Amino acid sequence: MDDPRKDPGTMTENGAPPAPPEAVPGERRKRPRDPNFNTPHRAAPPAPKLEDYEPIIGRPELDELRFLARHLRNKTVKMVNSTAVGGGVAEILNRMVPLLNELEVRTKWEVITGGNDFFEVTKGFHNALHGGEYVVTKEILDIFLMYNEQNRQRMEFAEDIVVIHDPQPAGLIKSKGERGKWIWRCHIDLSNPHPDVWGFLRPMIEQFDATLWSSPSFTRQLPVPQYLFFPCIDPLSEKNKPVDQATVQKVCDDFGIDRSRPILTQISRFDRLKDPVGVIQAYKLAKRYVDCQLVLAGGGASDDPEGAVVLREVMNEAGDDPNIIILNLPPWSALEINALQQASTVVIQKSLKEGFGLTVAEALWKGKPVIASAVGGIPTQVIHKLTGVLVHSVEGCAYQIRYLLTHPEFAEQLGKNGHEHVKENFLMTANVKRYLLLFQILLGVAQPKKLETA
Amino acid sequence: MAAAQAPSAQLRWAGAPFYFNSAAHLTRIGREKATNLGELLAGMKACPDASIFQHTFQTLREHHFIREGFSNDFAHWAFAACNEVGLAERLSVIDVREVTSVVGLRERLVNITSEYLEQNPRARDRAAFEPFYFCASESVVIPTPYVARNLAEFSEALHKVSRHSIYYHFIDARLRLKLNTNDFSLWLENELDLGVVADRINGIDIYTQTLQDVRRAILRIIDKAG
Repeated sequence: MDDPRKDPGTMTENGAPPAPPEAVPGERRKRPRDPNFNTPHRAAPPAPKLEDYEPIIGRPELDELRFLARHLRNKTVKMVNSTAVGGGVAEILNRMVPLLNELEVRTKWEVITGGNDFFEVTKGFHNALHGGEYVVTKEILDIFLMYNEQNRQRMEFAEDIVVIHDPQPAGLIKSKGERGKWIWRCHIDLSNPHPDVWGFLRPMIEQFDATLWSSPSFTRQLPVPQYLFFPCIDPLSEKNKPVDQATVQKVCDDFGIDRSRPILTQISRFDRLKDPVGVIQAYKLAKRYVDCQLVLAGGGASDDPEGAVVLREVMNEAGDDPNIIILNLPPWSALEINALQQASTVVIQKSLKEGFGLTVAEALWKGKPVIASAVGGIPTQVIHKLTGVLVHSVEGCAYQIRYLLTHPEFAEQLGKNGHEHVKENFLMTANVKRYLLLFQILLGVAQPKKLETA
Repeated sequence: MAAAQAPSAQLRWAGAPFYFNSAAHLTRIGREKATNLGELLAGMKACPDASIFQHTFQTLREHHFIREGFSNDFAHWAFAACNEVGLAERLSVIDVREVTSVVGLRERLVNITSEYLEQNPRARDRAAFEPFYFCASESVVIPTPYVARNLAEFSEALHKVSRHSIYYHFIDARLRLKLNTNDFSLWLENELDLGVVADRINGIDIYTQTLQDVRRAILRIIDKAG
């Protein structure tokens, strides 16, 4: 490979790296300082059937799913969210709805519609519920209520169970009648919400029969039952299915990654909250003691102006170190991400703030030792020194890199435990099982076992 | 005339068959949370019985794959979030196999934590890295198709059932039975007259082995008995 320091494209007159050039579709660029890669579009494989999960979770687990579903046969369920494509919720529903139907729980998925003004409001709500600044006006609330009312008039709610995902369709609760049970699935962290936005939504949420949360730390005090429903990954998706070594090797070759040496990887969009600069600093500290390469792979720098700025900051921090490989990938790169995770010696998630952080579950599922910040939903996935290691600083991250690279048996045990942790708690099938059980309890089909206390 | 010999273990038939069950669980998030050890103690005293059960028994199912570490959520939090290793060690000594009621279990947890805070008063109000959230479990029993009438059938079924079934019969059973034993041992002793086998199975250490290890250990004991 050419010495990047001799590449005139990597340096400007004032010594700063140049702005990343536009990606050229189909072209593989191997210059380490050009982070823009394209990856081929692939046809989506057919959705997996329940039987396809047997080699992963075992026959008894599948039997238990079928048993729980048997008592819900011909019950009807409706899932409602705000987008059919893109985002974690749509990804989960895309897999879960067919599985519920295969189990003969008649499940429909409907998406609410709205104009740009509605989605601007709901985006504002989303940020405000995460603690961001926001000015709530009557006009904003009216837009939210108007579109919810329009959708409510358009939709029918004759199902036994209605599951509303996230705040956008929360106003549909007005259609709750005598018959059906309504569930609100909150996928976001409400630990520090904007008081005006939460104050507006809260009366709606209090009308649901149950609420579901990704982590106990994300909840609010509510007078309705709150259940823990972890987000999940699909072990048969492009991003998580087993990948053969030839594919892993090809992806590494394409990206200029040397598999004969340790590989540290962080998969995250280029966002300051993911602290990619901190990851490079930790790598540099660790590199004084152990040989390794660092791969920072993600997206968001092509269509997000802020992402492009962060990418430049990352490239500045990386300087001319040929062992730092920065990859700005398009959104359809699931297979490449999968291969990068498989090729990694250690996976890092050094976020400053995080939702649930499902990239951690993806890495754990692949049996990788994970170093991650103790923020958001990460401590639920990474139990310190058992399923990974938690860190609170650049220095802590650097130390753990050194430790894991020099104690491969410990790293391997973390990876094994992490894989089992995901298998037990964070797989799609575990999510389906939770829903089946909740439906049974809400519909009175099953009575929870009475705890013997005396 | 020679006395009739008892049939070998493999040939004995049970009067009452063993029906393998399993259980599915939902975790309900409780109202109590603790941000320091003083609040943990208050929560231990006030939380529902189902929370005590969740953080001592259920956590063994949720983390069945871990062989090391502290044995219950309270101990783990005292260590990981409060850096109070001494308390973590004392809490982790509690073995759910020695208790037959949640009331007794709560009492032990409260006593250990109270004593520790009396000896280490400064630990009471020191803020933890992250809060402890009291949760509770709602469980539904699931019958399985597996039934055993003799040792061979028992062994065959044990190979096939899920780890949730093993948890249900081997760990969860202790509160149900109100005895220091488990469903497997009780049946083997009562129905197949295999008291020694039952005792050996009951002695398997659930804190240093995964549920899969427990399955393998039971099968090894049964193989030897046969």
